[in-house]
Amino acid sequence: MLNVQEIQEIIKLIDQSSIEEFTYETNGTTVSLKKSSQKNPVSVQDNQIQPTTKVENVQQSDVKANIKNEPVENEVTSEQSQAVAYDHEIVSPMVGTFYTAPSPEKDAFVSKGSKVDESTVVCIVEAMKLFNEIEAEVSGEIVEILVENGELVEYGQPLFRVNTK
Amino acid sequence: MESTRNKLIKLLAEHTEDYISGQMLSEKLNISRSAIWKHMKELERDGYQIEAKSKVGYRIIGFPERITENTIQWGLKTKWLGKKVIHREVTNSTQVVAHQEAKENKGHGTVVIADEQKIGRGRMSRAWHSKRGSGMWLSMILRPELPPYLAPQLTLLTAVALADTISDMTGTEPLIKWPNDILFANQKKCAGILTEMQAEQDKIQYVVIGVGLNVNQQLSDWPEEIQERATSLQIETNQSWSIQSIIQEFLCTFEKTYDMYMKKGFVEIKKKWEAYGFKIGEWITIYTLQEKKKAIFAGIASDGALLIRNESGKVERLYSGEIDWFNKKA
Repeated sequence: MLNVQEIQEIIKLIDQSSIEEFTYETNGTTVSLKKSSQKNPVSVQDNQIQPTTKVENVQQSDVKANIKNEPVENEVTSEQSQAVAYDHEIVSPMVGTFYTAPSPEKDAFVSKGSKVDESTVVCIVEAMKLFNEIEAEVSGEIVEILVENGELVEYGQPLFRVNTK
Repeated sequence: MESTRNKLIKLLAEHTEDYISGQMLSEKLNISRSAIWKHMKELERDGYQIEAKSKVGYRIIGFPERITENTIQWGLKTKWLGKKVIHREVTNSTQVVAHQEAKENKGHGTVVIADEQKIGRGRMSRAWHSKRGSGMWLSMILRPELPPYLAPQLTLLTAVALADTISDMTGTEPLIKWPNDILFANQKKCAGILTEMQAEQDKIQYVVIGVGLNVNQQLSDWPEEIQERATSLQIETNQSWSIQSIIQEFLCTFEKTYDMYMKKGFVEIKKKWEAYGFKIGEWITIYTLQEKKKAIFAGIASDGALLIRNESGKVERLYSGEIDWFNKKA
């Protein structure tokens, strides 16, 4: 287990680097650091039984909560999100690679402005060669795609913003 | 449109009592007599027994072992897997049929088997050559009660069941290339697995696991660029194998492995997987969107992820990515 000094040291190093996200894991303890626009939320969790993916989800929602609670510190973020009205986020149910289309030469499942319903497939997330077709689970309009094709995504990471009205 | 080959088989099948002349076949099929002769040679290789009598013609005297729903189920020693079998002589892809079946019916344990796939699918819709009667082409529908984030482990589980089947039946020593390709020490691949899932955030609707295993192909069955990378059980063992027995054996082994996983989790699967693991302890190259890096393949994590150790000793988990296993691009 890392001590507080070590964690501080890591934060400092990452702060000075261009690394956006950092996860360190040892003996069932996970430390995850993620840069938002202006701050580095830190979370340390002991997890003996639960798989990391689950913990990362908890951590991610912590990050989100931070941003929402401190609008002043994150002006840029909140301005951006105000530009598009949304009331639902489609999040990734697992760690993996995000694909916008069923294969490279095919059209994307959806694009900005696409109308979706509960069973519309919006993307594929692949991990260990399992291809998970993600359905929208709500009806509405895709107002923002938050991830690039081929990008790695975490458990619980928002992928799309949907306006259900 | 019906292929010339299928028309030829039909014509021969209508004339099992008498000979049908090469001239007549040539007229009916509108192809040359030497083309007919080539087709006959091909049919023989695929298990048809054809008698050719000079100046009289051809006669079919034996058909290859045929897979049907009944023959698969007859002697199948499983408890729940393959209790419903959907057999297609030809289909575009068993995956597509399985998806339809899964959407229309409940179908846990339903198995879709094809003799031939027109558009066999691999990763990202890469084609898989699946000629009639030359391999095991099947898809299984499962509805596991698992959280979706654990479902990727099913791909490693399937690879273990397939490697067990191959090694038990043929005495060869298959290897598993992470996460789920089957190859041999000569680095040639004989099987691929494609797993597709429909899931909500916290519940799996269904999983379709597609398995393609090359059984009785010869090298000349494939285009040149594939010959370098592909092999079949027949090429490895110098003998042909009954597709039906392999299917039955695989389904049986898969069911046992799956039931064990549901009961005891991934621990046992991990042990077995690592015993088959290709290139554990060796250098591999990993390509991500941002970078290319070399690292040692250190084994798999408790959840099935690929563990890599870089030069400075740092260990990382990898769930996805393009990996160069053969250092071809380096």
